[in-house]
Amino acid sequence: MNTDDCILSAFSAEARVNRKYHSFAKIAAGEGYDHVAKLFRATSAAEEIHSHHLLSIGGYLGTTAENIETGIIAELRASNESYPKFITIAENEDRSEAVVTFTHAMKAEAAHAVLYREAADAVKAGKDFDAEIIYLCPVCGNIEIDRTPERCPICGIPGSSFKAVE
Amino acid sequence: MNTQDCIDAAFSGESQANRKYKSYSEAAADEGYDHVAKLFRATSAAEEIHARRLLRVGGYIGSTVANLEAGRIGELHETNEMYPEFVAIAEKEDRQDAFITFTHAMKAEAVHADLYQKALDAVKAGKDFDVKTIYLCPVCGNIEINKTSERCPICGIPGESFKVVE
Repeated sequence: MNTDDCILSAFSAEARVNRKYHSFAKIAAGEGYDHVAKLFRATSAAEEIHSHHLLSIGGYLGTTAENIETGIIAELRASNESYPKFITIAENEDRSEAVVTFTHAMKAEAAHAVLYREAADAVKAGKDFDAEIIYLCPVCGNIEIDRTPERCPICGIPGSSFKAVE
Repeated sequence: MNTQDCIDAAFSGESQANRKYKSYSEAAADEGYDHVAKLFRATSAAEEIHARRLLRVGGYIGSTVANLEAGRIGELHETNEMYPEFVAIAEKEDRQDAFITFTHAMKAEAVHADLYQKALDAVKAGKDFDVKTIYLCPVCGNIEINKTSERCPICGIPGESFKVVE
């Protein structure tokens, strides 16, 4: 194991706990522990600082053109390789909740890859990505540009539930 | 590989993408691509949704007592095992930037473990964590309660640079 392996391993660990503590904060608030919730928000923010440093020193932050290309590769791998494999395994084990979660994520990642491709083309042409409003489906992570469909094509919730991203 | 392994792998991938896209959005904003920055914020938020669902489906979100215990064990592992190993490797390879990042994180995780223990003691006694203000060091992720030190004991920045956690 060399330093670059350590950076990658530490980044993975920090990113995971950042997300965990974020979820734990919501549970604590739900249970009425406002100060424990705040502590979890603080630790989550601390792990965000660590993960950002690790990305930076590991050389994983490039120009926007490079970052979009990295994003496309990751989204395509998730939607074409990882999630299809995970869905098959979950189906064989009859874990229907996992099948649904994996399936939604697989389809959302495919949508992300398409949008990244459009953004990459714009940036290569010296322009910004052409979008006024970006809407996010709060259930499955699908993203729609400028207007929402009547129902989310991935998970089926009404388009009026989508949130505009600030 | 069973479904639980898939959930773990997917959660790790989604957490890492969530953090990467967040950092990418900041880079895009700096380069003047406001809409690309917004797209990255949207994909980051989408991966956050996936990560949260995977935590839930995987059974990784418990009561606040269980979450504090899980957090404490994770922080102790990082501060006592993972980071000391990484610090030694970076030192041997003379990677100064990695050595500093690992050292800061290692020390911050020790503080987090201690705070989780205090919060755990409070919650087990049926009380909330006893704090007024939680301060976060924006450089190293150190956390201080109710007042800041003159200088951060981990990274040395002035205490007035600490941010209040909302």
